[in-house]
Order: sequence, then C-alpha cells, then structure tokens
Amino acid sequence: MSAPRCGHVRTSAPRRENACDEIARTRIRPFVSAASFRIEVPETTLARARRGDLGALEQIYRLFERPAYTLALRMLGDAEAARETVHDAMLRLLERIGQFRGDAPFWGWLRQIVVNEALMRLRRERSVVFEALPDDDGAPGAGPPPWALADAKQLERALERLPALTRSVLWLFHVEEYTHEEIAAMTGKSVSFSKSQVARGASRLRALLEPNEEDARCLAATAH
Amino acid sequence: MPGRDGALNPNPEAALSAALRALPDAAPQPDLWPALARELAPPRRRLRRALPAALAAGVALALALAYRAVPRGDAPAAAAPAAIAAAPSSELDRLQLRSQALEHRIAGLAQTPQEGRDLMAAVEIEDLIGLVDVQLDAARGDDDALPLWRQRVALLEDLATIRGGAYALAVAEPRDAGLVPAAPHRMN
Repeated sequence: MSAPRCGHVRTSAPRRENACDEIARTRIRPFVSAASFRIEVPETTLARARRGDLGALEQIYRLFERPAYTLALRMLGDAEAARETVHDAMLRLLERIGQFRGDAPFWGWLRQIVVNEALMRLRRERSVVFEALPDDDGAPGAGPPPWALADAKQLERALERLPALTRSVLWLFHVEEYTHEEIAAMTGKSVSFSKSQVARGASRLRALLEPNEEDARCLAATAH
Repeated sequence: MPGRDGALNPNPEAALSAALRALPDAAPQPDLWPALARELAPPRRRLRRALPAALAAGVALALALAYRAVPRGDAPAAAAPAAIAAAPSSELDRLQLRSQALEHRIAGLAQTPQEGRDLMAAVEIEDLIGLVDVQLDAARGDDDALPLWRQRVALLEDLATIRGGAYALAVAEPRDAGLVPAAPHRMN
C-alpha cells in the first residue's frame, strides 16, 4: 500500500499542489455571494427606458445579464439553452418596460420572467421534467457536509448530474430563496414535492461529493 | 426553517446554500445585446413581438379550422372559418371562436399600464398559453385538442381579467354556457 498523499503536506521542499492542499484550501474558502438579482435600477434609467431609449435599455440589460444567465444556466444545465432563455426573457421584459409602474421591485419582475421561461423550456422536454430522484441515497455523516469541502468545479460537476427539475428546485430554494409554496406554484407541483426534491437533491449531492477514504485521512491529518 | 446563508453555520442546509451561492457566475457568450438591440430598435418589430402567444395561437387556430374543414365537403378551405363562425356546431368550435374573440380583446388592452403583480401574473399566463399552443400543435385529433382548447380559453379569460378587469370582460363577452370557468388555472 502506498503512502498517503497527505504526507507531502508536512515537507518543506518545493512541491506540486496535491489533493490535501486542495482540501485544506477549500476549508477556508471565503464566502462570496453569487450573482444576485437584487439590484436596484435608478429611476432615471427606468424613465429613459420607458421612453424607448436604447442606451437605457442596454444599461438595464448589462445590470442583469450575469444573474439572469447564471440562474438559467443552473436550472437548465446547458449553455445554449440558457442563452436562448435569457434572450427571450430580456426581450419580453424590455418590450414591456413601459408598462412597469415601479410598485414592485424591478429585479423581482425580471427574475420571475427568467424562471418562467426556464421552466417552460423544461416542461417542453418532458423526459427531463419527469426524471425525479426517487429515494434518498445518502445519509448525513458525522463530519462536515461534503459541499463545505468541495471546490467550485466539483460542486458544479455534481450539480450537473442531478435531474434538471431537481437541480432547478434546489437552486430556486437555496440560492434564489423562493419558498416551497412559491416553487410549488411555479412548477405546478405540490409543496411536498418541492420539499422532497430539495431533500433528495441535497442527499444526491452528498453522495456525489462524499470524499473517498484517502481524502478523509487528509482531513483528519490537517485538523490536528 | 433554518437560515440559509450561514457560512459559519454548521447546519448542512445552510452550508449548502452558502456553497451554491459561492459558485462563480457567468455571462452569455457571445454577447446577447447586439441581437436584442436589433429586435428592440425597429418599432414594427416591437409591435410584432407584443403578443407572441397570441400570434402562435392565431396560426394554430387557422390550421385547426382548415384541418377540420377539408374532410367535411367540397367548399374551399378558405371559406371554412367563416362558415364555422356563422354556426358553431360543437364545443370545439365554440371554444375556438371564444379564444379568437378573447385574443382580439386582449390585443386591444395590451398597452394598459399595470400593477407589478398583475404584470407578473400576465406574463406567467402567457407562458402557459404558449405551452398549451405547443401541445395543441402536437394534438392528434379532437379528443386530444378539446381539453387543451378549454385550458386555452380559461387562461385567456384569466389574462383578459387581469388586463382589462372582470367587469369589462363580462359586459363585452357574455360567457358561453359550455365553457369552463375562468378560475385560476395551472397546467400539469
């Protein structure tokens, strides 16, 4: 049996980064907020946009292009589909901006349109929509949850392996902070369906990200 | 419900929220704005995109009427919609005529300023109408199409209610006894 890779952590000689370094680094990863929709649009920009000023419309587009695309990409799991979704949602929003009276947050309106467009695309692909996770396949262990240790690439890869609807529900709940009631209304499913998809999605992520035995030894070594 | 944003919170659910939010964001590549600017700039195109669901529905309606007219007799297909309009003979015909009438009404109300909540609801209903139209395109016969046309009319009634107010709709278009009520309606 070969020596564990984590043994290299304690040498002072120049070395390449190994699995243990990565695990140790991710444990202290700073919290960074993902692209958020909660952006206030200046009233002057909105007023110009209502008059059809193309410059103002572009300003609004630029404010929201990243959060809109990120949301669509996380829900759909496909870059081209996400791009088309954002295009359709933005066009719909910018064409109707003259009807927006400002009594509700502008970002909330746009976000709802993006979610609706993405869900509509998922509904069209029925084989995707009805692929749901049947049962929990991972149980929480005693240590830290694996997503606290995984790097972004690992977590993205695991997310991509979830069924589209499960991934969408998980994202809408955890990142966009929709309630189960709101998710149920948007998807046309029940509240319990939303809750179960969040639980099962997390369970599947746990199973996909669970560190192997060697990584577990590294964790134990770096903890002391 | 436990908090969802506690990076220092050992709660696995909160940790998952934090981990997902920490994922990098992304921008569409290539840039979407040039295409959007082209579509937004010419007024004619803007008008053309004002009610995409209604346009799609118009095409679906025309196809459906033409399809139903051809096997019934020797009259030219172009004359069929007028004949059906003059004497609706089935629930399907009545639903299609009602749908058409509602679309005309909604098209006339489309530019009315709205409350933000109503606007969101209207957008969602239009999405659902678009989905019904997709399903209608794939319907294989009247048996498949009938429940979809019921849904379509119910959704259009909801949309007209939001856009123009229930009272105006009731005065202008007395509800056909054979139609489903305009209760909030959801697909699936």
